[in-house]
Amino acid sequence: MKNFRIASVAALSIALTAGASLAADYPDRTINMIIPYGPGGATDISARTLAEPLGKVVPEALVMVNRTGAGGATGSVSVKHASADGYTMLFARVGSHTVNPAMKDTLPYTLDDFRFVGVYEINPVACAVRSDSDIDSLDELASKVQAEPGSVTYSSSGVGALQHIASAMVLKSFGVEKPLEQAVHLPMKGGGAAATAVLSGTATFICTNSAELASFVANGQFKPLMVTTTEPVAGFDAPSAASLGHPELEQLVGWTGVAGPKDLPDDIAAKWGEWLAAATADAGFREKMEARGSVIELMSPEDSAAFIQKQYEVFRALVDELGMRISG
Amino acid sequence: MTLFDNLVTGAAIFTDPQALLALVIGIAVGTVAGAIPGLSATMAVALTLPFTFALEPMTGILLLLGVYKGGIFGGSIPAILIKTPGTPASSATVLDGYPMAEKGEAGRALTMALYASCTADLFSNLALILAAGWLASFALSFGPPEFFTLILFSLTIIAGVSGDSLLKGLVSAVLGLLLATVGLDLVYGTNRFNFGDPNLMGGLNFIAVLIGLFAIPEILAMVADPHGNDGNVRGLGDNRVSFAEYRRCFKSIIRGSAIGAFLGSIPGIGAAPSAFLSYSEARRTSPNKANFGKGEIEGVAAAEAGNNGVAGATLIPLLALGVPGDVVTAIIIGAFMIHGLQPGPLMFVTNADIVYGLFVGLILSSFALFFIGGAAIRVFRYVADIPRGVLFPLVLVLCVYGCYAVNNSMFDVGVMFAIGWLGFLMMRYGVPAAPFLIAFILGPLLEDNFRQSMLMSGGSPEILFRSPITWVFWGLTAITATAIAMAGLKAMSRAPAPAESRD
Amino acid sequence: MTRTTHRQIGIAAILFAAFLTLAGIPYGVTAPDNIRNIVLSPLFWPYALAGLLALGGAGLLLASRGLPSAAEAEAPGTGWRPGAGLRLAIAAVIMVLLVAFAETVGLVWAAMPAFLAFAFLVRTRHPVAATIAAIAAPLALYAFFAHVAGVAIPQGIFVRLP
Repeated sequence: MKNFRIASVAALSIALTAGASLAADYPDRTINMIIPYGPGGATDISARTLAEPLGKVVPEALVMVNRTGAGGATGSVSVKHASADGYTMLFARVGSHTVNPAMKDTLPYTLDDFRFVGVYEINPVACAVRSDSDIDSLDELASKVQAEPGSVTYSSSGVGALQHIASAMVLKSFGVEKPLEQAVHLPMKGGGAAATAVLSGTATFICTNSAELASFVANGQFKPLMVTTTEPVAGFDAPSAASLGHPELEQLVGWTGVAGPKDLPDDIAAKWGEWLAAATADAGFREKMEARGSVIELMSPEDSAAFIQKQYEVFRALVDELGMRISG
Repeated sequence: MTLFDNLVTGAAIFTDPQALLALVIGIAVGTVAGAIPGLSATMAVALTLPFTFALEPMTGILLLLGVYKGGIFGGSIPAILIKTPGTPASSATVLDGYPMAEKGEAGRALTMALYASCTADLFSNLALILAAGWLASFALSFGPPEFFTLILFSLTIIAGVSGDSLLKGLVSAVLGLLLATVGLDLVYGTNRFNFGDPNLMGGLNFIAVLIGLFAIPEILAMVADPHGNDGNVRGLGDNRVSFAEYRRCFKSIIRGSAIGAFLGSIPGIGAAPSAFLSYSEARRTSPNKANFGKGEIEGVAAAEAGNNGVAGATLIPLLALGVPGDVVTAIIIGAFMIHGLQPGPLMFVTNADIVYGLFVGLILSSFALFFIGGAAIRVFRYVADIPRGVLFPLVLVLCVYGCYAVNNSMFDVGVMFAIGWLGFLMMRYGVPAAPFLIAFILGPLLEDNFRQSMLMSGGSPEILFRSPITWVFWGLTAITATAIAMAGLKAMSRAPAPAESRD
Repeated sequence: MTRTTHRQIGIAAILFAAFLTLAGIPYGVTAPDNIRNIVLSPLFWPYALAGLLALGGAGLLLASRGLPSAAEAEAPGTGWRPGAGLRLAIAAVIMVLLVAFAETVGLVWAAMPAFLAFAFLVRTRHPVAATIAAIAAPLALYAFFAHVAGVAIPQGIFVRLP
């Protein structure tokens, strides 16, 4: 017991001295990477795929920590409250860091609570209906919504998910005045369930990450109506938003990035920028991510913050216009 | 005989020992992971995924499937030995498995669990191979209204696991339903009983509630009465299950397998309801009805058949439709896609060799599970010999680690302890825990599907009667509810009933 | 104790249902103003459950009348052992301490005294084995969870394990 106490005092003093010269020899121990979504989800797979090349460039071990709940809020909050020493970092995602902050007043964090060190993955968004549907274009869909209010439903993986705001935004762009009243939002539990709802005819259409729809489109079960990126998406025989005259929808993309608490020191943020650059250059990593339909595009810490801020503002304006704000 | 020809082609993959080896390693890893509370089959599969990137597609997917199958069986080991179900799926196994362990029959319970698991697994795999197309199109006819009626019917199971008082079971179930409402509202995203605490926004963690409800009260009971169990001999006992016993349980096993295969093919239900449904059906029809809940081997067999019956069948929506039925199959879809394969109906045409190789691998996995599971029982058997005074603190520490590991959250450990005290109180007052748990699992499904139905219909209840499937389940629910009510009234008029002490 | 417990649970259920209806649900559950249909409200389900709970409680009270009274049904051995209350209170305190301090001192170091305390609370007949296990088990579990399963077991700020 006595030895133990001496050891702990010694370790404590080491820990204290280490605190002083923190950034210079960062990292000197394991870094916890918080994934705010469950194992097997899009964020989890993206994070764990990145962990492989990242582990080769970061001198210390990286531990992937899933902290699930409330659409990414539980895990994000834990990083907000973590000490800004670079030993607790977050895999931020479109849902947790732009859609949710734009929609929920009750969210226990804001964008200002984080410092982004890099967005590394962009997911094009695609809209699709079941292949036997009589709807062949988004214009047809929009006119159906207006002609028969309440007859068109769209599924999402829950309130505050990308699919939720995406469908509303697309309908609005295509001329539906009150998408919330005229079309019905069907929240499901998870992205898989949301796609299944369209397949079984429970929902009329879905707008989500192209990756989630890729196999349905390839199998001829879904008919894609649009993709939001300017570049065509492999396997999706559908027009881009810009070619349909709606370039504003290009803001509608999914992304994954790495963030730390807001007080993260500059040199640590810079180190992360370098590490991410090295990791995302890995050929094997790119190949695996691209096979899943992602676009690998690393943004610098500054560009990442600007990109996220802009998407947040677009979403926020839409939320205010449509009255989607959740205040309770 | 095209199916047979295809299977022969598929079997060719196994001339390469790597595929077989991956399957065996997967099952072994899964069994161990499943046996550690907190490391569920899901987590084990997610952790294995990065290792499959470098492997051949077939080898990688077999590795993942092995982990999954091993994990589902492995969950029964702590459920029986230390009353700590590692996964929701094995919570039904606790009901009779742990009483058997307390009677010194842990070995028999484990062996029966293995036999039932392997039989159900084989059944489920055959259902996948022979009826995937049919079951998948049937599964697609399940929308929210059909789900709602199915879950409503499943909730009648509660009557079967309520013990001596149906009303206590009802109160217990309502408490479970209430706890399941904590979190964010599905339709509006507003707060429900979370008081703005981010830890509660995601709802109460499943595993924390599960462990808290079963394992912790047992420890607290021992704290209250340290030597109360001295008369009972623990220990593994004989681990042989005679062929006669297996044959006696065979009907329940097959019924459980069928329930599992059926529910498994419908995306989004999972193994726990199947295990409970199978258990309650076995109890309803068994000549040993009175012994259920007190250490009836048929109860263990039925519960394990119910949950393993799901394992093969969850691949039905995956392969036939490209739809993930649960988190595990979602990960497996991810693995397919990383290798450039698109699961779905086309895969039977474009990658038939992979599909049929998978089928052959699945059949082999049932047999591999039999041998690896048997070896695992021989290793874990020593747990039963640990004296209670050491075992129970050990279980406590294990639960703390396991519960923490699920979501890397100390808050969840607090939830586990809080539920543990609730469970202890319920135990003292003879309120059964199983209805609480079933309601906690099924409650959110019931509410969500009800509200999704209402969204679809614009608030008209007619949608709940929209198809023959809903009519069937309404009918079944009505029949069961009537039977329960009549039995309840009969019991009341027979009063004063002999006082039954708590189990 | 059948009749008494039936009554106690019945009363507790009704009281809890009343609490939910009057205070718990109005304060704990928020619903937006623009709800078109009452069955879709986030409040609908909790109120329905509170009602069901009250019904179950009332049923228990009703059923308790037909049951034998407390005195004749009291089964031997169901009462509390001497000292049980104190031991349970200690157990509760240990649990609270464990949850409160595990992240600060490290889960491994917090689990060791907790293990030992519980071993003595259940009056173990094998104190030596329990002490050895109290030290070995948290370490072994740490090794497994941290290094095999890749879980970030809280290390604390004092002694870090490899």
